[in-house]
Amino acid sequence: MEGSIETPASLYGLDLGLPLGDFRVLIADNSRFNRRTLARFLQWIGIDKVAFATDGPELMDQIEAFDPDLLMIDAQLPPIDGMALCRILRANPRWRDLPILMQSTRQTDQIRSLCFQAGATDLLAKPINPGECVARVRYHLERRAMVRELRAFHERVERDLKQARSMQLALVPDSEWLEAMAGRNGLRIDPVFQTSHEVGGDFWTAFEIGGGQVGVFVADLSGHGIASAINAFRLHTLLTRTPAEELRDPARLMTQLNQRLTDILTVGQFATAFYGVIDPARDTLLYAAAGAPNPLLGSRGGFRTLDASGMLLGAFADAEYETRVTRFLPGDTLFLYSDGLTEARDRSDTMLGELGLADLVEEAVRTAPEHPFPWLMARFAERFGTGLYDDLTALWIARDPL
Amino acid sequence: MDFTVIDGPTSTEIRLQGRMTFSDHDTFRSVIAAFDRPAGHRMVFDLSGLDFVDSSGLGMFIIARDTAQKKKLDFTMRGARDEVQRLITLAKLHKVFTIDA
Repeated sequence: MEGSIETPASLYGLDLGLPLGDFRVLIADNSRFNRRTLARFLQWIGIDKVAFATDGPELMDQIEAFDPDLLMIDAQLPPIDGMALCRILRANPRWRDLPILMQSTRQTDQIRSLCFQAGATDLLAKPINPGECVARVRYHLERRAMVRELRAFHERVERDLKQARSMQLALVPDSEWLEAMAGRNGLRIDPVFQTSHEVGGDFWTAFEIGGGQVGVFVADLSGHGIASAINAFRLHTLLTRTPAEELRDPARLMTQLNQRLTDILTVGQFATAFYGVIDPARDTLLYAAAGAPNPLLGSRGGFRTLDASGMLLGAFADAEYETRVTRFLPGDTLFLYSDGLTEARDRSDTMLGELGLADLVEEAVRTAPEHPFPWLMARFAERFGTGLYDDLTALWIARDPL
Repeated sequence: MDFTVIDGPTSTEIRLQGRMTFSDHDTFRSVIAAFDRPAGHRMVFDLSGLDFVDSSGLGMFIIARDTAQKKKLDFTMRGARDEVQRLITLAKLHKVFTIDA
């Protein structure tokens, strides 16, 4: 490398950070000498998009037209001083974030405090030290660039997540379709599906298998947020590719899904799941489970718990599942839910728990026999709030009475 | 969640305390760092101080087991109670984990 002669420009203009050539700086100063001096300092650090104002009114015109990234203003700008102008600018949302570098000859702590109170971002003492001046200009412009970058990133991610959220909501059955499908099979299915973040790891679906059977699948992918949402999509894809033959046999479906998921998921990721096949012609519910919260089955004698224990889906390649069978008569109810419901904590940090939920369900059926599910979810929201810590799925499935 | 590592010549006991949830992933990385032991070494998770695990916590047990297998360590868990025991039973982890009474 060639040696270079150290001129003031190369010393003060040391290019250590972001190139500043695209930034625009407005200089408001009534002294021609000061304006030219400041402009020369700015040139050292590569800033040549510079505009000038000599007084208050000119500043207000220039700032609109020039749209600066930084304003250098003299505290004693006529006819009203820089501090008053600062206050006016800060009152306008457009200039609320604009870095304002104020120069002042009066250097008492009181004056400096007043400058900051008026909205100055930083102060430079007059006479200006060139090195300090360019260092501060660089600092504020770089900071502004970083904030902008962060804001742009934040906006992009927010847009992406919003889109992902609508995709995730589209994974679960459409309400009109669900009502028609359930109705055809003598059922009523009321769902609640909420994510704690924009996207989440809960997933559920229902479908006709043929021969009058209806399959209901509820899963909770481990973790929260994007990673578990991606896994929920994977599970959905696997499920939609499953032939009807496998859908008829809950344990077989679980075994197949487990093998496929184990290949895809990383260690420590898995799903808890419940899969039930409702067969109105035989008055039965066939089901297999993978460590899901225990569903509640309501019949004339009240509610009882179904055993939903089972190996986690996608965690162990050789996991085996069993199909269990229970009576599911006209008028009976099957209540499926994710752990977002039972692990919710109220203001006193008390967890609802499975027993608490069972009590709440009994109370719902007693108090609001016509609409137990909305009553239940309203009580839940009252006690646990609507700001969820976890994704929440709840399905109230009722067989029409005879 | 808090944890304490008690090292012996042939075995290491890790006592897990409090609530083990999604937000403990970073803490758990430090727990896993304690698995850097010679093959054949015994690793024990003492769960008696653990009040609660969520499904992310179960995932951490699975990661611990996997890490132990890769390093050829002997990994066992013991002392689970209440909610923790309930969740282990629900997920049938006793079928794949060595769980001491």
